[in-house]
Amino acid sequence: MLRFGPQDGPVVIAAPALFEEANRTRAFLVRILRLLGVHGIAGALPDLPGQGESLLPTHQATLAGWRDAFATAARHVSAVATVSIRGGALVDGPAPVSALWRLSPITGAEQVKELWRIRQAAHDRPKLRYDPARFIAELDVEVAGNRLAPGLLAAMNIAEPSSDAPVRTVRLDTNPRPADLKLPGRPLWRASEPDVDEPLAQALADDIAAWVHACVA
Amino acid sequence: MIEEGAGQVDGTIRAVLRDVLGLTQDRVNAFDESTPLFGLLPELDSMAVAGVLTELEDRLGITIEDDEVDGEMLETFGKLAHFLRKKALL
Repeated sequence: MLRFGPQDGPVVIAAPALFEEANRTRAFLVRILRLLGVHGIAGALPDLPGQGESLLPTHQATLAGWRDAFATAARHVSAVATVSIRGGALVDGPAPVSALWRLSPITGAEQVKELWRIRQAAHDRPKLRYDPARFIAELDVEVAGNRLAPGLLAAMNIAEPSSDAPVRTVRLDTNPRPADLKLPGRPLWRASEPDVDEPLAQALADDIAAWVHACVA
Repeated sequence: MIEEGAGQVDGTIRAVLRDVLGLTQDRVNAFDESTPLFGLLPELDSMAVAGVLTELEDRLGITIEDDEVDGEMLETFGKLAHFLRKKALL
């Protein structure tokens, strides 16, 4: 688990985006956590089991396992708030924190559809209409070189971001969905090459800092 | 009204190609109806197509069925724009 910022002060724990989006947004998320240090907030960035540097094989990772591991890590660092990107909002819920901050959260069903599109594109499969029931019933799914555990897609397809603690949702101003704050910037989770949008990182760190200070005050 | 809407759809497509493929604003501004996309725009490989389609769905508030997507629909900027204008403006 990577740690950032001051030794004292409130700690936030980050739930990265899932699958390929984690790689595309990792440098960006690290930049945000470093910027939080300037605001006196410490950051922790765990690798979910089967993702990033984790030793667990990808095909043994489950949604319940991700949630448990994330909650354990949050407890371990005494986090007061979570910071999640995209599908990270599906695992931040059970963490014992006072606030959930989310950038462009998606539902589990949306995450599964993204995986389907990536799988279809990578294998140059014939153009089929998306049928979630059929996709989640497949027993051996490989997406961009990673085999997925049987049952992961089915569990994810019905998962929703939780609201067990106060939630603040931030989206890009190009996205018409409701949010507490909209900011200009690039959807880095879709970019072909990992990148950092510095003005966006600054604006997000400012917002997270204000929200965390308000929630723990 | 339709023309105004069509202009907005075109602007959204240019912005999505810029953001997802990492192209400059100048480059996407220079795209016209006959600019070739899939197969001739090196940044637009089949993986990038998945990201472009989903981002277009998000921004335009539409659903693109995957069996509607083929090489012809993505052949030129004009063909992609035509497909999306029909989806977004009806």
